Amino acid sequence: MSVLGTPPPSPMADVILSVHHLTKRFEGLVANREIDFEIPRHAIVSMIGPNGAGKTTFFNQLTGIIEPTSGTIEFDGTSVIGMAPHEVAELGIARTYQNIRLFADMTVLANVMVGRHVRMKAQWYEAVLGLPHVAREEAAVEQRALELLDLVGLPRRYADDLAKNLPYGHQRRLELARALASDPKLLLLDEPTAGMNPGETRQMTDLIARLRRELELTILLIEHDMKVVMGVSERITVLDYGERIAEGSPEEIRANPRVIEAYLGKQATA
Amino acid sequence: MRFRLPQRINLVSTILWGLRIVVAVLVLAGSWATLSSGKLSPDAWRELVVFGIAQGSVYALIALGYTLVYGVLFMINFAHGDVFMTGAMTAFFVARNFGESGFLNANPIVALLIIFAVSMLTSMLVAIALERIAYRPLRRAPRLVPLITAIGASLFISNSIRGIYGEQSQTYPSIDALQGRLDLFGIPILKTQALVIVSAVVLMIALVYFVERTRTGRAMRAVSEDKDVAALMGINVDRIIVTTFAVGGLLAGAAGILYALVFNEVDWFMGFLPGIKAFTAAVLGGIGNIAGAMLGGLTLGVLESVGPFLLLGGANVPSPNQLRDVIAFTVLVLVLIFRPNGILGRSEPGR
Amino acid sequence: MAELISRRQLRRVATIGAVAAVALLYLCMVGLIEAFKDRNVVTGVITLGAVMLLAVPLIAGYRAALLPRDASASRLAAWQRVLFGLVVGLIAGAVLGVFVVIASAVDVRGVLVRISPPLLEFLSFGLPSALAFLAITGLGGLTGALGALLLVSPVRIRNAVTSAVIAVVFMSMIEPLLRPRLEQLDYTAISDFVYKSHGLTEAAAILFLVVGAVAAILWQPANDLVRRTVDAAPVESRRRIRRWAIGVLVVAVLILPQVSGTFLAQVAVLVGLYMLLALGLNIVVGYAGLLDLGYVAFFAVGAYLTALLTSPNSSLGIGLPFFVALPIVMLGAGMTGLLIGAPVLRLRGDYLAIVTLGFGEIARVLFESDALQPWLGGVQGILGIPSPFPPRIDLDLGTMHIFATGPQVLYYPIFAFCALAAVFAYRLSNSRIGRAWNAMREDESVAEATGVSTVNYKLLAFALGATTGCLSGALFAVQLGSVFPGSFDVFVSITVLAVIILGGMGSIPGVILGAIVLIGLPELLREFVEYRVLVYGGVLVAMMLLRPEGLIPNRNRQRELHEADSEEEQETLDGDLMPQRGTS
Ligand SMILES: Nc1ncnc2c1ncn2[C@@H]1O[C@H](COP(=O)(O)OP(=O)(O)OP(=O)(O)O)[C@@H](O)[C@H]1O
Ligand SMILES: [Mg+2]
Repeated sequence: MSVLGTPPPSPMADVILSVHHLTKRFEGLVANREIDFEIPRHAIVSMIGPNGAGKTTFFNQLTGIIEPTSGTIEFDGTSVIGMAPHEVAELGIARTYQNIRLFADMTVLANVMVGRHVRMKAQWYEAVLGLPHVAREEAAVEQRALELLDLVGLPRRYADDLAKNLPYGHQRRLELARALASDPKLLLLDEPTAGMNPGETRQMTDLIARLRRELELTILLIEHDMKVVMGVSERITVLDYGERIAEGSPEEIRANPRVIEAYLGKQATA
Repeated sequence: MRFRLPQRINLVSTILWGLRIVVAVLVLAGSWATLSSGKLSPDAWRELVVFGIAQGSVYALIALGYTLVYGVLFMINFAHGDVFMTGAMTAFFVARNFGESGFLNANPIVALLIIFAVSMLTSMLVAIALERIAYRPLRRAPRLVPLITAIGASLFISNSIRGIYGEQSQTYPSIDALQGRLDLFGIPILKTQALVIVSAVVLMIALVYFVERTRTGRAMRAVSEDKDVAALMGINVDRIIVTTFAVGGLLAGAAGILYALVFNEVDWFMGFLPGIKAFTAAVLGGIGNIAGAMLGGLTLGVLESVGPFLLLGGANVPSPNQLRDVIAFTVLVLVLIFRPNGILGRSEPGR
Repeated sequence: MAELISRRQLRRVATIGAVAAVALLYLCMVGLIEAFKDRNVVTGVITLGAVMLLAVPLIAGYRAALLPRDASASRLAAWQRVLFGLVVGLIAGAVLGVFVVIASAVDVRGVLVRISPPLLEFLSFGLPSALAFLAITGLGGLTGALGALLLVSPVRIRNAVTSAVIAVVFMSMIEPLLRPRLEQLDYTAISDFVYKSHGLTEAAAILFLVVGAVAAILWQPANDLVRRTVDAAPVESRRRIRRWAIGVLVVAVLILPQVSGTFLAQVAVLVGLYMLLALGLNIVVGYAGLLDLGYVAFFAVGAYLTALLTSPNSSLGIGLPFFVALPIVMLGAGMTGLLIGAPVLRLRGDYLAIVTLGFGEIARVLFESDALQPWLGGVQGILGIPSPFPPRIDLDLGTMHIFATGPQVLYYPIFAFCALAAVFAYRLSNSRIGRAWNAMREDESVAEATGVSTVNYKLLAFALGATTGCLSGALFAVQLGSVFPGSFDVFVSITVLAVIILGGMGSIPGVILGAIVLIGLPELLREFVEYRVLVYGGVLVAMMLLRPEGLIPNRNRQRELHEADSEEEQETLDGDLMPQRGTS
């Protein structure tokens, strides 16, 4: 039983993602238990919780990488359950990873262009024949990829470097650019500021806010840094031991005793 | 995080189901035809089974090498078959010498022990050199890199032996004391086959003792659980890995002599097929699992010896024994496709 | 008192010496020296066997002199380094010397079959034991010191010497190519000046030494000049330069069999067949990262399908014309690719390798078996495959006279197909398809989550690779006029893999170079045939250890158009450039 019960029905708000009774079991361990969750369109929602609370597992289910044990996931009116990850990506969900996962031996530009893959139309036989529209599409996507690099603040001079040779902060930015390349409707960020210094963290926070504003994205982020969470999100969901223990505005969460006990209390002493 | 394939790919699952059905039909029809024709006497079947167990115990010993190395490094030591071959080829010269000087028949036990020792030591040295030169520098490389290295090493070793000892196959001298049959619970068994099975069992018991009871064995298991944690616990991971290769080499060297006892002939290319078959056995039993390797070896040995006659004998297929390798490879392919964790396998380690 | 050599250095030197000694013994025992001891480089002066033997202490000496990389290194004088080289060479030489002395006294041929009396005589210079030992040791020490000397000498001299030696060895190696052709074209004078009954003449050797050295000395400035000119040129003319370069290359490929004669054409045909195979496998292994060890199966399927469809002697006996059969063959190939690809999709990289190896072996055993003999011909194979190409071409174009027979004729279609495959592969690799493959190779599950249907792209890679392999098989069947199961063993797969690894996975120029080096060179060195697979194995290991990206690494696409942009870079997040939201 969660503190707040099921989220209040909000018929007016346009809900982009709604999750009901989502449960994931790993042989004995319940990583997600009966989670109910909704995101209004164009919102920035944070998900917080101690290590091992099941946040990444939640993302993996949204993106089709692992299949839920039970429950429903509806994205923009379509059920995602049973879909292959690439189909989910095509629907408009893009993500980044907690421990950066780039295509290490590909160039920065190629990494972003892979992100655009689902929106490209060239078929293999067209590419083989070297048809002009394939080249046009390539050029356009390349241009767009460069613009995305600008957007996330990755200098263009890195474009031809191998992703593995980028400094850490830039790798995070590149991962973000790759996710944005598919024109997602929903962006999932798994600890986007992990390992960043305060300056970089602030930049990233600003960027997240700006992305929502200018690209009209809906953003769900997992974050341990409370400054980021409190600064950027409208609503916060708290997971602990796989269960959703709280949900509300930053102020409500800050004041919630259970959250303080489960999460902030530990943080405060740390 | 395990990569999950979508459930609804029709082409792929159709092909997979097609494969299942074809195999099932062939196996059932073939066995039915053979059994109803009654071509082979019960004695002949028993002979095939015993031969299968003997050859299976050789596979099992080699398979242990694959499994041990896989356990600590999560890599397939593709050159392990050639480690096995090197021992048998080198010990041949000792055996020939003993045979010519009469020592072999005068003192068969001592002679055999020396031959075993030579083969095991040679294989062990090759395995250690292999680890040191070819694999150690690549421990953190992407997975395909050590695999390609291993394939290269396999070719290099086998062709070096071909150059050094010559390319003709050699026949081990026969031992008078091992001629004829032994009566075991009323079943006559070739003495060589009995010796092979017994030696294999002894070696496996020794291995289990080593892994379960000795300090090094426990360290080996710790390393296979988690190298970093093992290192923190003060275990010298490099040394344990070398030891693992060494133990695998010792077993492979012994397998080389057992192979020579069963098949008599050895040559520079003999590592390839037994190597792949032993790998199949290791996967069949669940790679990384010691008991699995033994079980897999025996199963494959028997399947391979009985299979061609059982499946093809009744269908009047000419020279069914030519197709025994097809059976082994088909088992390999089917196991890897449909049951990559094997019979006793633990679940796959993270990618 | 300053130490002559520190303990640590001593240990390193001893280690290198021991490794060199083992290498020398290995070369002798494995038979390489025996095989090459009669192959002259410079007639009467030095043989290829001797070059191989000397190379060992030379390299070891060089390595030893390079050794002390620690802080004390800078204080090492040149003579100390040379001393290291000398010691290493002496150790290696002494070990070989002892071995020669022992082997001359005791007959070891019962075990080490290659240690023959002629070999021992070669190694000992025909001297009695004690003298032979001294000579070998001394020579080893000298060569080791020479290697060290190379290291301490200036770069230009080092390059000049290396290049001079390579030039001489190379010129002597291509004798079987060059000499018959020169004689055939009536340049006997040149031929007699350069070659003397197998091997270079002394005069020619000196000439090539000089040419090699001069080329090396001129190389750096010339290269710089070209580089600078090209860099200075605007994008447009750089493109033009590239187009010209490709044009020249094409013309060279076209006239090659005309100038080279039939022998080289025959070698080139073989190189071409493997190049085609490698281009196909490169899609699977290089682009998509799927290690397929059963690639020979497609080669075999292509050859057998062609044989069945076109040979009147086959079990089908329909004798279709080649070019009618070809589309059917390629279709069949693609299907085989899918059939093999589908079951292995889920497998991890290393299991996939072994399963495909299994498929390859199953194919071979089946082709060979008596059970399928009525259809596939068993060990006897299928004979009587007609060639669709004319046996000879004789064209008089006024200024040029084109004449070609046998392999010279087949050369053209094979290289046409190679060129086509290369262009197609190049285009794929620079499209979203190639990127999707690469992404899959790098991280399968992330690629999938980024939107790449890994199932489809794996199948596509298998199907395209299979089609290319089959094409090569079809041409192979036509070239031979028959197919035998013996031609399709696992070593074909391994050879093709070695070609790709040597050249550079995913690199088309690399694949081309790899095929020329690994397939072409052994044909020139007949003595080599037996050691081919040994060398392929060595190549695989060495490349993975030393240069896993290959000789010509896959160059990531340079963006000519955007170099100007790199100036206006922004470190901060507040750029004012905001892309439009794409249409979706
Ligand atoms: N594939 C899996 N198989 C088995 N258990 C898993 C798997 N993935 C996650 N788990 C377990 O599920 C639990 C939740 O993991 P998850 O990664 O979702 O936590 P998290 O909230 O993201 O933690 P962190 O803050 O450390 O990233 C953990 O105990 C983890 O060990
Ligand atoms: Mg997490």
